[in-house]
Amino acid sequence: MIVDGEHVFPGPREVVWALLQDPEVLSKAMPGAAKLALVGDGAYEGSIRVGVGPVTAAEWKLSVTLEDRVAPEHYVMQVDSKGPIGFTRGSATVDLAEADGGGATRMRYHADLQVGGKVAGVGQRLIDQVAKMMTQRGLNALGGELERRLAEGA
Amino acid sequence: MKPAPFEYHRPSTVDEVTELLARHGPDAKLLAGGQSLVPAMNFRLAQPAVLIDLERVAGLAELREEGGVLRMGAMTRQRAAERSPAVARGAPLLVETLPFVAHPQIRNRGTVGGSIAHADPAAEIPAVMLALDARFHLRGPGGSRTVGAGEFFTGLFGTALEADELLTEVEIAAPAPGSGWAFGEVSRRHGDYALAGVAATVALDAAGRCSGARIALLSVGEGPVLASGAAAALLGGEPTADAVRAAADAVEREIDPPADIHASAAYRRQLAGVLVRRVLPRAFERARAAAVQ
Repeated sequence: MIVDGEHVFPGPREVVWALLQDPEVLSKAMPGAAKLALVGDGAYEGSIRVGVGPVTAAEWKLSVTLEDRVAPEHYVMQVDSKGPIGFTRGSATVDLAEADGGGATRMRYHADLQVGGKVAGVGQRLIDQVAKMMTQRGLNALGGELERRLAEGA
Repeated sequence: MKPAPFEYHRPSTVDEVTELLARHGPDAKLLAGGQSLVPAMNFRLAQPAVLIDLERVAGLAELREEGGVLRMGAMTRQRAAERSPAVARGAPLLVETLPFVAHPQIRNRGTVGGSIAHADPAAEIPAVMLALDARFHLRGPGGSRTVGAGEFFTGLFGTALEADELLTEVEIAAPAPGSGWAFGEVSRRHGDYALAGVAATVALDAAGRCSGARIALLSVGEGPVLASGAAAALLGGEPTADAVRAAADAVEREIDPPADIHASAAYRRQLAGVLVRRVLPRAFERARAAAVQ
Protein backbone atom coordinates (compact mmCIF):
# COMPACT_ATOMS: atom_id res chain seq x y z
CA MET A 1 0.00 0.00 0.00
CA ILE A 2 1.24 3.47 -0.91
CA VAL A 3 0.37 6.44 1.26
CA ASP A 4 1.42 9.59 -0.48
CA GLY A 5 0.73 13.21 0.20
CA GLU A 6 1.63 16.70 1.22
CA HIS A 7 0.81 18.77 4.25
CA VAL A 8 1.60 22.35 5.21
CA PHE A 9 2.36 23.09 8.86
CA PRO A 10 1.95 26.70 9.99
CA GLY A 11 5.37 27.00 11.61
CA PRO A 12 9.11 27.19 10.84
CA ARG A 13 10.95 24.07 9.70
CA GLU A 14 13.21 23.73 12.79
CA VAL A 15 10.19 23.65 15.10
CA VAL A 16 8.40 21.09 12.92
CA TRP A 17 11.53 18.95 12.79
CA ALA A 18 11.85 18.94 16.59
CA LEU A 19 8.19 18.08 16.88
CA LEU A 20 8.57 15.06 14.61
CA GLN A 21 11.39 13.63 16.77
CA ASP A 22 9.56 13.96 20.08
CA PRO A 23 8.11 10.62 21.22
CA GLU A 24 5.46 12.32 23.35
CA VAL A 25 4.23 14.34 20.41
CA LEU A 26 4.35 11.35 18.08
CA SER A 27 2.25 9.26 20.45
CA LYS A 28 -0.38 12.02 20.46
CA ALA A 29 -0.46 11.91 16.66
CA MET A 30 -1.14 8.19 16.64
CA PRO A 31 -4.56 6.66 17.08
CA GLY A 32 -6.05 5.58 20.39
CA ALA A 33 -3.91 6.00 23.52
CA ALA A 34 -0.55 5.31 21.91
CA LYS A 35 2.49 4.78 24.09
CA LEU A 36 5.87 5.47 22.57
CA ALA A 37 9.31 5.65 24.19
CA LEU A 38 12.74 6.55 22.86
CA VAL A 39 14.88 3.41 23.15
CA GLY A 40 17.97 4.50 21.21
CA ASP A 41 19.18 7.11 18.75
CA GLY A 42 16.14 7.61 16.50
CA ALA A 43 14.56 4.36 17.67
CA TYR A 44 11.16 4.25 19.31
CA GLU A 45 9.10 1.41 20.73
CA GLY A 46 5.59 1.26 22.06
CA SER A 47 2.04 0.26 21.36
CA ILE A 48 -1.10 1.69 19.81
CA ARG A 49 -4.76 0.72 20.10
CA VAL A 50 -6.54 0.58 16.77
CA GLY A 51 -10.13 -0.32 16.00
CA VAL A 52 -12.27 0.74 13.06
CA GLY A 53 -16.02 0.27 12.74
CA PRO A 54 -16.87 -3.37 13.38
CA VAL A 55 -13.29 -4.24 14.30
CA THR A 56 -12.86 -4.24 18.07
CA ALA A 57 -9.94 -2.05 19.17
CA ALA A 58 -6.87 -4.14 19.89
CA GLU A 59 -3.32 -3.41 20.93
CA TRP A 60 -0.60 -3.38 18.26
CA LYS A 61 3.08 -3.46 19.19
CA LEU A 62 4.96 -0.80 17.32
CA SER A 63 8.60 -0.10 16.60
CA VAL A 64 9.74 2.95 14.64
CA THR A 65 13.29 3.76 13.55
CA LEU A 66 14.33 7.03 11.96
CA GLU A 67 17.12 6.65 9.40
CA ASP A 68 19.04 8.81 6.91
CA ARG A 69 18.34 11.84 9.05
CA VAL A 70 19.36 15.17 7.51
CA ALA A 71 18.13 17.80 9.97
CA PRO A 72 15.88 19.65 9.44
CA GLU A 73 14.82 18.44 6.01
CA HIS A 74 14.74 14.70 5.46
CA TYR A 75 14.38 11.32 7.15
CA VAL A 76 13.19 7.81 6.43
CA MET A 77 10.95 6.15 8.99
CA GLN A 78 11.03 2.35 9.27
CA VAL A 79 7.83 1.03 10.76
CA ASP A 80 7.16 -2.43 12.11
CA SER A 81 3.94 -3.25 13.90
CA LYS A 82 2.19 -6.40 14.94
CA GLY A 83 -1.31 -6.93 16.32
CA PRO A 84 -3.66 -9.79 17.06
CA ILE A 85 -5.12 -9.72 13.55
CA GLY A 86 -2.14 -8.87 11.36
CA PHE A 87 0.98 -6.85 10.81
CA THR A 88 2.24 -3.75 8.99
CA ARG A 89 5.78 -3.06 7.99
CA GLY A 90 7.52 -0.75 5.59
CA SER A 91 9.08 2.65 5.33
CA ALA A 92 8.03 6.24 4.92
CA THR A 93 10.15 8.98 3.40
CA VAL A 94 9.53 12.44 4.82
CA ASP A 95 10.83 15.67 3.29
CA LEU A 96 10.40 19.07 4.86
CA ALA A 97 10.75 22.24 2.79
CA GLU A 98 10.42 25.85 3.83
CA ALA A 99 7.27 27.51 2.56
CA ASP A 100 5.77 30.94 2.79
CA GLY A 101 9.19 32.61 3.25
CA GLY A 102 10.15 30.33 6.16
CA GLY A 103 7.00 30.91 8.19
CA ALA A 104 5.51 27.59 7.18
CA THR A 105 6.76 24.11 6.41
CA ARG A 106 5.70 21.91 3.54
CA MET A 107 5.91 18.21 4.37
CA ARG A 108 5.97 15.62 1.59
CA TYR A 109 5.48 12.04 2.67
CA HIS A 110 5.61 8.82 0.72
CA ALA A 111 5.08 5.54 2.54
CA ASP A 112 5.25 2.06 1.12
CA LEU A 113 3.73 -0.34 3.61
CA GLN A 114 2.99 -4.04 3.54
CA VAL A 115 -0.11 -5.09 5.38
CA GLY A 116 -0.49 -8.78 6.12
CA GLY A 117 -2.36 -11.32 8.16
CA LYS A 118 -6.09 -11.57 8.70
CA VAL A 119 -6.61 -7.82 8.43
CA ALA A 120 -5.25 -7.86 4.87
CA GLY A 121 -7.34 -10.88 3.88
CA VAL A 122 -10.66 -9.72 5.27
CA GLY A 123 -10.23 -5.96 5.34
CA GLN A 124 -8.41 -5.40 2.03
CA ARG A 125 -11.00 -3.01 0.62
CA LEU A 126 -10.80 -0.82 3.74
CA ILE A 127 -7.04 -0.59 4.30
CA ASP A 128 -6.59 2.44 2.06
CA GLN A 129 -9.45 4.32 3.77
CA VAL A 130 -8.12 3.50 7.23
CA ALA A 131 -4.61 4.63 6.28
CA LYS A 132 -5.97 7.88 4.84
CA MET A 133 -8.05 8.52 7.94
CA MET A 134 -5.18 7.78 10.34
CA THR A 135 -2.77 9.95 8.34
CA GLN A 136 -5.19 12.87 8.30
CA ARG A 137 -5.92 12.60 12.02
CA GLY A 138 -2.21 12.33 12.80
CA LEU A 139 -1.31 15.39 10.72
CA ASN A 140 -4.13 17.39 12.31
CA ALA A 141 -2.91 16.38 15.78
CA LEU A 142 0.66 17.39 14.88
CA GLY A 143 -0.62 20.71 13.54
CA GLY A 144 -2.50 21.34 16.78
CA GLU A 145 0.58 20.53 18.85
CA LEU A 146 2.69 22.84 16.66
CA GLU A 147 0.29 25.73 17.19
CA ARG A 148 0.35 25.11 20.97
CA ARG A 149 4.15 25.19 20.99
CA LEU A 150 4.37 28.32 18.89
CA ALA A 151 1.81 30.04 21.15
CA GLU A 152 3.81 29.05 24.23
CA GLY A 153 7.06 30.25 22.65
CA ALA A 154 5.59 33.60 21.69
CA MET B 1 -14.68 -20.15 12.64
CA LYS B 2 -16.11 -19.47 16.05
CA PRO B 3 -16.66 -16.14 17.77
CA ALA B 4 -14.90 -15.16 20.99
CA PRO B 5 -17.06 -15.66 24.10
CA PHE B 6 -19.73 -13.03 24.69
CA GLU B 7 -22.69 -12.36 26.96
CA TYR B 8 -26.03 -12.67 25.14
CA HIS B 9 -29.19 -10.65 25.80
CA ARG B 10 -32.55 -10.92 24.04
CA PRO B 11 -34.69 -7.99 25.22
CA SER B 12 -38.32 -7.65 24.14
CA THR B 13 -38.81 -3.88 24.38
CA VAL B 14 -36.89 -0.82 23.22
CA ASP B 15 -36.65 0.37 26.83
CA GLU B 16 -34.89 -2.85 27.81
CA VAL B 17 -32.44 -2.29 24.94
CA THR B 18 -31.60 1.24 26.07
CA GLU B 19 -31.18 -0.02 29.66
CA LEU B 20 -28.74 -2.69 28.48
CA LEU B 21 -26.90 -0.13 26.35
CA ALA B 22 -26.69 2.28 29.28
CA ARG B 23 -25.19 -0.51 31.38
CA HIS B 24 -22.71 -1.90 28.84
CA GLY B 25 -22.11 1.07 26.51
CA PRO B 26 -19.24 0.60 24.09
CA ASP B 27 -18.65 -3.03 25.19
CA ALA B 28 -22.01 -3.99 23.68
CA LYS B 29 -23.00 -4.54 20.06
CA LEU B 30 -26.55 -4.58 18.75
CA LEU B 31 -27.38 -7.62 16.63
CA ALA B 32 -29.88 -6.85 13.86
CA GLY B 33 -29.76 -9.20 10.86
CA GLY B 34 -26.19 -10.23 11.63
CA GLN B 35 -25.02 -10.25 8.01
CA SER B 36 -21.99 -8.04 8.73
CA LEU B 37 -21.55 -8.36 12.49
CA VAL B 38 -21.65 -12.17 12.73
CA PRO B 39 -18.98 -12.79 10.04
CA ALA B 40 -16.81 -10.11 11.71
CA MET B 41 -17.28 -11.92 15.04
CA ASN B 42 -16.51 -15.29 13.51
CA PHE B 43 -13.28 -13.90 12.06
CA ARG B 44 -12.71 -12.47 15.55
CA LEU B 45 -12.28 -9.01 14.06
CA ALA B 46 -15.21 -7.97 16.24
CA GLN B 47 -15.07 -9.22 19.82
CA PRO B 48 -17.94 -7.52 21.63
CA ALA B 49 -18.21 -8.50 25.30
CA VAL B 50 -22.00 -8.20 25.14
CA LEU B 51 -24.40 -8.94 22.31
CA ILE B 52 -27.93 -7.45 22.40
CA ASP B 53 -30.20 -9.29 19.97
CA LEU B 54 -32.95 -7.07 18.52
CA GLU B 55 -34.83 -9.99 16.93
CA ARG B 56 -37.61 -10.12 19.57
CA VAL B 57 -37.96 -6.40 20.25
CA ALA B 58 -41.61 -5.50 19.70
CA GLY B 59 -42.52 -2.94 17.06
CA LEU B 60 -39.11 -2.53 15.44
CA ALA B 61 -40.11 -4.09 12.10
CA GLU B 62 -43.30 -2.16 11.42
CA LEU B 63 -43.84 -0.57 8.04
CA ARG B 64 -46.51 2.08 7.56
CA GLU B 65 -47.51 5.11 5.49
CA GLU B 66 -48.63 8.21 7.34
CA GLY B 67 -49.64 11.39 5.58
CA GLY B 68 -47.22 11.07 2.66
CA VAL B 69 -44.42 9.75 4.85
CA LEU B 70 -43.10 6.19 4.80
CA ARG B 71 -42.09 4.93 8.25
CA MET B 72 -39.93 1.86 8.28
CA GLY B 73 -38.94 0.12 11.50
CA ALA B 74 -35.17 -0.36 11.74
CA MET B 75 -35.53 -4.16 11.83
CA THR B 76 -37.44 -4.26 8.50
CA ARG B 77 -35.76 -7.01 6.49
CA GLN B 78 -34.22 -5.76 3.26
CA ARG B 79 -36.18 -8.41 1.33
CA ALA B 80 -39.44 -7.29 2.98
CA ALA B 81 -38.77 -3.69 1.94
CA GLU B 82 -37.92 -4.81 -1.58
CA ARG B 83 -41.31 -6.56 -1.97
CA SER B 84 -43.47 -4.07 -0.04
CA PRO B 85 -46.06 -2.10 -2.08
CA ALA B 86 -45.83 0.68 0.54
CA VAL B 87 -42.07 1.03 -0.07
CA ALA B 88 -42.66 0.88 -3.84
CA ARG B 89 -44.97 3.91 -3.45
CA GLY B 90 -43.03 5.78 -0.78
CA ALA B 91 -39.41 5.05 -1.69
CA PRO B 92 -39.18 3.55 -5.20
CA LEU B 93 -35.44 4.36 -5.27
CA LEU B 94 -34.91 1.90 -2.40
CA VAL B 95 -36.85 -0.82 -4.24
CA GLU B 96 -34.77 -0.23 -7.38
CA THR B 97 -31.54 -0.45 -5.35
CA LEU B 98 -32.18 -3.42 -3.06
CA PRO B 99 -31.56 -6.11 -5.73
CA PHE B 100 -27.96 -4.81 -5.83
CA VAL B 101 -27.50 -5.42 -2.08
CA ALA B 102 -25.61 -8.72 -1.76
CA HIS B 103 -27.88 -11.74 -2.52
CA PRO B 104 -31.51 -12.66 -1.70
CA GLN B 105 -30.42 -15.02 1.08
CA ILE B 106 -28.53 -12.18 2.76
CA ARG B 107 -31.41 -9.73 2.23
CA ASN B 108 -33.79 -12.22 3.87
CA ARG B 109 -31.86 -11.72 7.12
CA GLY B 110 -30.21 -8.32 6.66
CA THR B 111 -32.17 -5.32 7.86
CA VAL B 112 -32.54 -1.79 6.51
CA GLY B 113 -31.63 -0.28 9.89
CA GLY B 114 -28.69 -2.62 10.39
CA SER B 115 -27.10 -1.49 7.13
CA ILE B 116 -27.66 2.17 8.05
CA ALA B 117 -26.18 1.82 11.55
CA HIS B 118 -23.22 -0.22 10.26
CA ALA B 119 -22.45 2.59 7.74
CA ASP B 120 -20.12 0.62 5.50
CA PRO B 121 -18.74 3.01 2.85
CA ALA B 122 -19.49 0.40 0.16
CA ALA B 123 -23.08 -0.23 1.25
CA GLU B 124 -25.94 0.81 -1.02
CA ILE B 125 -28.62 1.58 1.59
CA PRO B 126 -26.77 4.46 3.34
CA ALA B 127 -26.21 6.18 -0.04
CA VAL B 128 -29.89 5.71 -0.94
CA MET B 129 -30.91 7.22 2.41
CA LEU B 130 -28.69 10.21 1.70
CA ALA B 131 -30.21 10.66 -1.77
CA LEU B 132 -33.71 10.39 -0.27
CA ASP B 133 -32.83 12.81 2.54
CA ALA B 134 -34.26 10.27 5.00
CA ARG B 135 -34.64 11.03 8.69
CA PHE B 136 -33.62 8.57 11.39
CA HIS B 137 -35.23 8.17 14.80
CA LEU B 138 -32.70 7.36 17.51
CA ARG B 139 -33.62 6.25 21.02
CA GLY B 140 -31.38 6.59 24.03
CA PRO B 141 -31.89 6.47 27.79
CA GLY B 142 -32.82 10.17 27.73
CA GLY B 143 -35.50 9.85 25.03
CA SER B 144 -35.77 10.12 21.26
CA ARG B 145 -34.18 12.39 18.72
CA THR B 146 -34.37 12.65 14.96
CA VAL B 147 -31.30 13.06 12.77
CA GLY B 148 -31.23 13.68 9.01
CA ALA B 149 -29.18 11.35 6.83
CA GLY B 150 -26.88 14.27 5.95
CA GLU B 151 -25.81 14.64 9.59
CA PHE B 152 -26.03 10.95 10.51
CA PHE B 153 -23.09 9.57 8.50
CA THR B 154 -19.76 10.77 9.87
CA GLY B 155 -16.70 9.20 8.27
CA LEU B 156 -15.52 5.61 8.11
CA PHE B 157 -18.20 3.43 9.80
CA GLY B 158 -19.04 6.56 11.78
CA THR B 159 -22.60 7.60 12.66
CA ALA B 160 -24.33 10.07 14.94
CA LEU B 161 -25.40 7.15 17.17
CA GLU B 162 -24.06 7.42 20.70
CA ALA B 163 -22.89 4.24 22.48
CA ASP B 164 -26.18 4.13 24.44
CA GLU B 165 -28.52 4.77 21.48
CA LEU B 166 -30.25 2.60 18.90
CA LEU B 167 -31.83 3.36 15.55
CA THR B 168 -35.56 2.63 15.77
CA GLU B 169 -37.16 4.03 12.63
CA VAL B 170 -36.45 5.43 9.19
CA GLU B 171 -38.69 8.17 7.87
CA ILE B 172 -38.86 8.92 4.13
CA ALA B 173 -41.04 11.59 2.49
CA ALA B 174 -43.00 10.28 -0.50
CA PRO B 175 -41.75 11.45 -3.92
CA ALA B 176 -43.29 14.81 -4.83
CA PRO B 177 -44.98 15.29 -8.24
CA GLY B 178 -42.34 15.95 -10.88
CA SER B 179 -39.63 14.00 -9.11
CA GLY B 180 -37.53 11.13 -10.41
CA TRP B 181 -34.93 8.72 -9.14
CA ALA B 182 -32.41 6.16 -10.32
CA PHE B 183 -29.62 3.93 -9.04
CA GLY B 184 -26.61 2.40 -10.74
CA GLU B 185 -23.43 0.65 -9.68
CA VAL B 186 -20.56 -1.35 -11.12
CA SER B 187 -19.21 -4.37 -9.30
CA ARG B 188 -16.94 -7.19 -10.42
CA ARG B 189 -19.68 -9.76 -9.86
CA HIS B 190 -23.31 -9.17 -9.01
CA GLY B 191 -23.64 -9.01 -5.22
CA ASP B 192 -20.01 -8.01 -4.61
CA TYR B 193 -19.15 -4.71 -2.98
CA ALA B 194 -19.49 -2.14 -5.74
CA LEU B 195 -16.39 -0.44 -7.13
CA ALA B 196 -18.57 2.67 -7.27
CA GLY B 197 -22.29 3.39 -7.17
CA VAL B 198 -24.65 6.34 -7.56
CA ALA B 199 -28.13 6.94 -6.12
CA ALA B 200 -29.93 10.06 -7.31
CA THR B 201 -33.22 11.86 -6.79
CA VAL B 202 -34.15 14.84 -8.95
CA ALA B 203 -37.13 17.16 -9.31
CA LEU B 204 -38.37 19.27 -12.24
CA ASP B 205 -40.52 22.41 -11.96
CA ALA B 206 -43.48 23.21 -14.25
CA ALA B 207 -41.14 24.78 -16.82
CA GLY B 208 -39.00 21.62 -16.96
CA ARG B 209 -36.06 23.11 -15.07
CA CYS B 210 -34.25 21.17 -12.39
CA SER B 211 -35.60 22.30 -9.02
CA GLY B 212 -33.93 19.69 -6.85
CA ALA B 213 -31.15 17.11 -7.04
CA ARG B 214 -29.50 14.86 -4.48
CA ILE B 215 -26.70 12.69 -5.84
CA ALA B 216 -25.16 10.25 -3.36
CA LEU B 217 -22.22 7.97 -4.07
CA LEU B 218 -20.95 4.79 -2.46
CA SER B 219 -17.52 3.16 -2.39
CA VAL B 220 -15.75 6.42 -3.24
CA GLY B 221 -15.13 7.87 0.23
CA GLU B 222 -15.11 7.27 3.98
CA GLY B 223 -18.88 6.89 3.93
CA PRO B 224 -21.76 7.69 1.59
CA VAL B 225 -20.85 10.93 -0.19
CA LEU B 226 -23.36 13.62 -1.15
CA ALA B 227 -22.12 15.33 -4.32
CA SER B 228 -23.22 18.90 -3.68
CA GLY B 229 -21.14 20.35 -6.53
CA ALA B 230 -22.90 18.08 -9.01
CA ALA B 231 -26.31 19.09 -7.68
CA ALA B 232 -25.36 22.77 -7.99
CA ALA B 233 -24.42 22.18 -11.64
CA LEU B 234 -27.98 20.98 -12.33
CA LEU B 235 -30.14 23.33 -10.24
CA GLY B 236 -32.10 25.99 -12.10
CA GLY B 237 -31.26 24.72 -15.57
CA GLU B 238 -32.81 22.31 -18.01
CA PRO B 239 -31.47 18.78 -17.63
CA THR B 240 -29.71 18.72 -20.99
CA ALA B 241 -26.92 16.31 -21.93
CA ASP B 242 -24.48 19.17 -21.29
CA ALA B 243 -25.88 19.76 -17.80
CA VAL B 244 -25.57 16.04 -17.00
CA ARG B 245 -22.00 16.06 -18.28
CA ALA B 246 -21.21 19.10 -16.11
CA ALA B 247 -22.66 17.28 -13.09
CA ALA B 248 -20.55 14.18 -13.85
CA ASP B 249 -17.43 16.34 -14.18
CA ALA B 250 -18.25 18.00 -10.86
CA VAL B 251 -18.54 14.58 -9.20
CA GLU B 252 -15.14 13.54 -10.52
CA ARG B 253 -13.66 16.73 -9.08
CA GLU B 254 -15.28 16.56 -5.66
CA ILE B 255 -14.61 12.94 -4.65
CA ASP B 256 -11.44 11.44 -3.18
CA PRO B 257 -11.87 7.70 -3.81
CA PRO B 258 -9.76 4.96 -2.24
CA ALA B 259 -7.56 2.47 -4.08
CA ASP B 260 -7.44 -1.27 -3.43
CA ILE B 261 -6.57 -4.46 -5.29
CA HIS B 262 -9.83 -4.23 -7.27
CA ALA B 263 -9.61 -0.67 -8.58
CA SER B 264 -7.28 2.31 -8.48
CA ALA B 265 -8.45 5.68 -7.23
CA ALA B 266 -8.32 7.10 -10.78
CA TYR B 267 -10.48 4.27 -12.12
CA ARG B 268 -13.05 4.73 -9.36
CA ARG B 269 -13.16 8.46 -10.05
CA GLN B 270 -13.82 7.92 -13.74
CA LEU B 271 -16.37 5.22 -12.99
CA ALA B 272 -18.27 7.57 -10.67
CA GLY B 273 -18.51 10.10 -13.51
CA VAL B 274 -19.69 7.45 -15.98
CA LEU B 275 -22.33 6.22 -13.52
CA VAL B 276 -23.61 9.77 -12.98
CA ARG B 277 -23.99 10.14 -16.76
CA ARG B 278 -25.96 6.88 -16.88
CA VAL B 279 -28.11 7.43 -13.81
CA LEU B 280 -29.16 11.09 -14.17
CA PRO B 281 -30.91 10.80 -17.58
CA ARG B 282 -33.00 7.92 -16.20
CA ALA B 283 -33.91 9.96 -13.13
CA PHE B 284 -34.91 12.98 -15.23
CA GLU B 285 -36.91 10.76 -17.59
CA ARG B 286 -38.95 9.53 -14.62
CA ALA B 287 -39.36 13.09 -13.34
CA ARG B 288 -40.78 14.14 -16.73
CA ALA B 289 -43.17 11.20 -16.77
CA ALA B 290 -44.29 12.02 -13.21
CA ALA B 291 -44.90 15.67 -14.18
CA VAL B 292 -47.06 14.72 -17.17
CA GLN B 293 -49.40 12.52 -15.08
